[in-house]
Amino acid sequence: MSLVDARAGTWVVVAAYNEEAAIAAVVGDLARAGWNVVVVDDGSHDDTASSASTAGAIVLRHAINRGQGAALQTGIDFALARGAKRLVTFDADGQHDAGDLPALIAALDDADVALGSRFLGSIVGASRRRRAFLRAATTVSNRLAGLPLTDAHCGLRAFRAEVATHLRMTQDRMAHASELLANLRRSGARWVEVPVTVRYTEHSARKGQHGLQAVRVLFDYWFRS
Amino acid sequence: MIIRVLLLAALALIGWRFFVRRSKLPIHIALVCIVLGLAALAVVFPESTNDIAHAVGVGRGADLITYLVEVGLLFVTVHYYTKFVELEGQITRLVRELAILRRELDERTPQAKRDDRT
Repeated sequence: MSLVDARAGTWVVVAAYNEEAAIAAVVGDLARAGWNVVVVDDGSHDDTASSASTAGAIVLRHAINRGQGAALQTGIDFALARGAKRLVTFDADGQHDAGDLPALIAALDDADVALGSRFLGSIVGASRRRRAFLRAATTVSNRLAGLPLTDAHCGLRAFRAEVATHLRMTQDRMAHASELLANLRRSGARWVEVPVTVRYTEHSARKGQHGLQAVRVLFDYWFRS
Repeated sequence: MIIRVLLLAALALIGWRFFVRRSKLPIHIALVCIVLGLAALAVVFPESTNDIAHAVGVGRGADLITYLVEVGLLFVTVHYYTKFVELEGQITRLVRELAILRRELDERTPQAKRDDRT
């Protein structure tokens, strides 16, 4: 499969909440590289929607904020309705690199799901504490989902449309990442980890998850499914 | 005894509100009547609760009522929590449908018309 064909059937889904500062650059990078981009504006109070639209994305707007999991699933549903063959989830805060997409999509030739791993790839700008936290989260998540991953909560992943229904997320907030992995294990789909680069900036660190929010995620995971 | 009057008045008020504002299903009416009737009996004849408590192995009637209320509250909490989670999922589905529909509508409406609307 040539890269041009790959781009035609691939949709990159970005969930964005109050991301007017970062979204234009994120969408711009993806759109310039020729990917179809759908941004789900999750009830932002700022100019996220128009910034994303100007930068070249199709924008869907949640009338009220429903959380990242809900927003991603909205984008996935929309892309599937538009005939997407492959789907990519991509964070809105600029921590991911559009340059990782070709490798991620190429991995789908032999797998149904390609999960980005910053521990196989590289992490730029993360504090030692954040790394330790991410490793701990991976250990817990592997226990929960029953998958031996090197990085369990990377927002950059790609999957084939055929497995989208099996991966379907009902967790509205952050527990969707663990839910997706549990669904992945249950579905028996073939998965592979792909090295990616994650770049933490002051902005992404501020928007990112804090240690204490892990408690909320675990609560959601166990009591809301 | 002021407390009895207050309690009975409160029970009557709950019953009245239930019948005025809530469902009229026979099973609901019967259930509420039974619960309110038992509560009224316990208010009018407090000593009788002691006999029931002794019969089931609890020291005092007041304790028995406390236990029943605790279990009842837990049940209500779990019930409404489940409902709440369900509602959240339904809201998300609505918001999702709306987002996708709005996009499709925008694509079908010529740009000029959209500008008029805003």
